[in-house]
Amino acid sequence: MKILLVEDDRRASEYLVKGLRELGHVVEQAFDGESGLKAAETGSYDVLVLDRMLPKLDGLEIVKRLRGSGSSVPILILSALDEVDERIQGLRAGGDDYLAKPYHLEELAARLDALARRQGEAGFAAKLKIADLELDARARRVTRAGRKIELTAREFQLLEFLMRHAGQVVTRTMILEGVWDYHFDPKTNVIDVHISRLRQAIDKGFERQLLHTVRGAGYTLSEDP
Amino acid sequence: MALVSFARSSIARLALLHGLLIAVSMMAVLGGVYLGTSRLIAAEGDQLIALEAQGLAEDFRERDLDAFVTVVVDRAEDPWVRGGVYELRNEHGDFLAGNVVVLPDLALQAGGWAEFDVAVTRGDANASRRIRAKVVELGGGYRLLVGHDVQDRRTFRAVMLRSLAWAVLVTLLFGVLGGLWLGRRISRTAQAISASAGRIAAGNLGERLPLSGSGDELDALVARFNELLGRVESLTMTMRAVLDSTAHDLRGHLNRIRGAAQDARRLAADAAATAAGDAVLAEIDRLSETLQGLLRIALAESGTAPLEDIDLSAVAEDLAEFYQPAGEPGQLSVAIEPGLVVHGHRQLLAQALSNLLDNALKYGRGSPVRLALARAGGRARLEVVDRGPGIPATQRGLATQRFRRLPGSSGLPGSGLGLSLVAAVARLHQAELELGDADPGLRVVLSVPLAPPAN
Repeated sequence: MKILLVEDDRRASEYLVKGLRELGHVVEQAFDGESGLKAAETGSYDVLVLDRMLPKLDGLEIVKRLRGSGSSVPILILSALDEVDERIQGLRAGGDDYLAKPYHLEELAARLDALARRQGEAGFAAKLKIADLELDARARRVTRAGRKIELTAREFQLLEFLMRHAGQVVTRTMILEGVWDYHFDPKTNVIDVHISRLRQAIDKGFERQLLHTVRGAGYTLSEDP
Repeated sequence: MALVSFARSSIARLALLHGLLIAVSMMAVLGGVYLGTSRLIAAEGDQLIALEAQGLAEDFRERDLDAFVTVVVDRAEDPWVRGGVYELRNEHGDFLAGNVVVLPDLALQAGGWAEFDVAVTRGDANASRRIRAKVVELGGGYRLLVGHDVQDRRTFRAVMLRSLAWAVLVTLLFGVLGGLWLGRRISRTAQAISASAGRIAAGNLGERLPLSGSGDELDALVARFNELLGRVESLTMTMRAVLDSTAHDLRGHLNRIRGAAQDARRLAADAAATAAGDAVLAEIDRLSETLQGLLRIALAESGTAPLEDIDLSAVAEDLAEFYQPAGEPGQLSVAIEPGLVVHGHRQLLAQALSNLLDNALKYGRGSPVRLALARAGGRARLEVVDRGPGIPATQRGLATQRFRRLPGSSGLPGSGLGLSLVAAVARLHQAELELGDADPGLRVVLSVPLAPPAN
């Protein structure tokens, strides 16, 4: 996908661009707020990555102006500021996601995938399907190969989250934020345990495994191993 | 309720003291006037009696007895015109003249003075009049009583006493009421300052106290207080700004280092280089984690984190549910009273509780862990108990210090910031944090003040 990166830290930008290009993305860069806003207004991008603090025009200001002019391009805000309360500000200003520095390239890439996909879906479908696994969000019903699967409320939420990001990598922090709405750092591997419980529920007894672990990044729900 | 607490306040005691002091001084002044006046009146009256008695004694010496008796009879004829009473007796005690008969039984005071009541009939009315009299020896055993009606003196005294009592009562009333009014005024200002200080301590640093505009000492005090607040606010803002810029800078550096390390690892030519890259990345992540822990502690300590009413029970339920699968089945037991709302920071409280549960599961080494939340007084009492080795009593004070790790925990992961963050979050919420002995194991109690019910 085509990404606009607005970041004044040239060296950080360089590493990020390199990493994203290796993952197959097209990346264009701007190094200050004004040129970043201009590029965002004139070019066509699948997703924007904005640093929170930029020379000439603040990252939040760019978000506000873009949203003010009717743009709905997905925006991820990168910030070296404290993430607990800054996150809320960034999202209120119209950003779609927020990532604190220092970040893992895998985390950023996973979030960008999720953002670009969300844009393409045009709203949330009530019925989701991957291979023979089906989820009806309205009826709160899950079936695999036509057989009903009993899940707890939280397991259902977790599966729904994974299915809405089917085919993409979701990281542990994305899961904690998206499913539990918390931003603390669990020092233990609790998320892994939640995932393996869900795996027991949906994959056990089936030849084709759908819920995969992506080493060093997170998890993905997909038909292909 | 407000009245009771007011009555207990120092202001109420001052007001009462103020009223009492005024009343006592009023009593002293009026009492002095009363005593002086009544003494003066008494002395003047006595002087008149003594003068008349002296004059009559001279008459007795100068005239013969019959003429003197006539004088006494004349004077006694209509006693209530001049208010005089007389009684003359000879050496045998026989009554010779006069308008009263009291001498034989009369008990005399020093100087021959006496007081007695006389019944008087005026028209149809019977009245008792008070008489003050002096008895003089006329010579040859003759005794003369000369007395004046002092009933008016008594009446005057009674009226004066009554007025005095009323004056004191009214003074007391106004003294106390005035004191109360003054006290209420001071007390209201003190309460406003106290309430405001409470809100400021809770993080609302922009708050200022209202000035009454009267320009009095209270206003000056309030103005000073506001000045102080301005100073505290600017210091806190400066601290926050320094913290933010330092954090920003460090995060920026770490981010570049991480980018470079990741780049290097990707380009690694062999397994050894890859392993080295992984090790560097892991160290960078640990460093980032420590930095983030410190920043969260700083955020909580700065008191500038925005607080709102949150359902602590729901947060505890979420965390319990999140951590349930972390241990052995049934290892984590939970008892949460629903609906406990506190004024707090949801993410920081969740982080604190997460640290406590992490610790309990880590140090408990598979032993049962209990999470309980219940109302206790005006507080939500959050309790995490494990059955691990616990913390020796002598070490508990140190456990909440930064980078302090317990002996024997070196093999376990951790940055040594977990409990310091819990302590900082506790301070932010004006909560009490207590580390105790669960015998065996550690009992951590966090008592967060409940939010006042919203009306």
